[in-house]
Amino acid sequence: MSEDERDRPGLRVIAGGITPARREEEALVAAFLVGDDDAFGELFGRHQLLVLSIVRRYAASADDAADLVQRTFLRAFEVARRSLARGPRNALPFRRWLIRVAVNLAKNHRRDAARLLRVPLDAAGSGATEPVGADALLRRERQQRLRAEVLRLPRRQREVLTLRLDAELPFAEIAAALGITENSAKVSFHHATRALRAALADEDQP
Amino acid sequence: MTACKDFDLLLTLHATAALEPSEASRLEAHLAGCAACRAEAAQDAEALALAKLPPPSEAERRALADLPRRAVSALHRADRRRAGWKRAAAGIALAAAALLAVLAPTVLRRPPEPPPIQLAATALAWQEPDLDTIWDDSAVLDFGGAASTSEGDATDLTLAAMDF
Repeated sequence: MSEDERDRPGLRVIAGGITPARREEEALVAAFLVGDDDAFGELFGRHQLLVLSIVRRYAASADDAADLVQRTFLRAFEVARRSLARGPRNALPFRRWLIRVAVNLAKNHRRDAARLLRVPLDAAGSGATEPVGADALLRRERQQRLRAEVLRLPRRQREVLTLRLDAELPFAEIAAALGITENSAKVSFHHATRALRAALADEDQP
Repeated sequence: MTACKDFDLLLTLHATAALEPSEASRLEAHLAGCAACRAEAAQDAEALALAKLPPPSEAERRALADLPRRAVSALHRADRRRAGWKRAAAGIALAAAALLAVLAPTVLRRPPEPPPIQLAATALAWQEPDLDTIWDDSAVLDFGGAASTSEGDATDLTLAAMDF
């Protein structure tokens, strides 16, 4: 790359540009907004597991998680409708609205301190049939400690960590959804990981 | 033994499989010869593995099954509520406009009554007007003699702009 090309700030390929998949998705959103209910089912089917993976860490049960998923879709359609009404320049990909809304709803849901004592994935929801030897018990205890620690991370670190760990999104998409740079997302993830490690080390000390 | 600072961030990204192939090869070459960084990488991987949630359970997936139908119903209910509020707001606005149309002539046309003292002062100060002054004052536009002056040009322009 020449010096000249490196100094040119505006020209770069942005992940998530207008792809055929995005066009199709926008068409589905538009179809739903003018009354095609089947389009909702199609969009829901495409993204339900993504949204579930983002919100389930904050939910107290499988039904609570499903409720958060439904609220996320409803809110995302509402913001998509309003942003479209303000003009196509304000339109974001629907998937990005979903991620943003899911992160925000999950964060607000978390304010209810009682929900921090989550059960579904550790007990009721997963129906896990792991062996219950001493090692397995110890590991489960450490998992629970660390998952509680995730919820105590600073907001930005927690959002990046969970979008990467739970939703398995690429850092470019995480950055776009949170409105930060990709490098900043990576650094937040790094700090979050170090904080979790420190918590583990503290707990392991006699 | 401490890990190499230059590889700090790369180690964490490696633990979450987010390195570009070129970065991954560079890090792996380094890890092969650096026990401290290998230990760091193992700790990062362990912390992330413990913090990660297991995949969604069958119960969680089942709870989503009926959601699209319920969500669409909820959306339509919200739309109907919104439409109801809009109709109510439009009705109120229409009623307010009608009321204004009825009251406006009465409210707007009645001139405010001057206080009695002012009436007396006006009566005392009144003088019979001079007819020449009235004639001069009524000559709003000067059509003769001023065409060549700049003021006259302005008048012409004003007239030209008027739609007769």
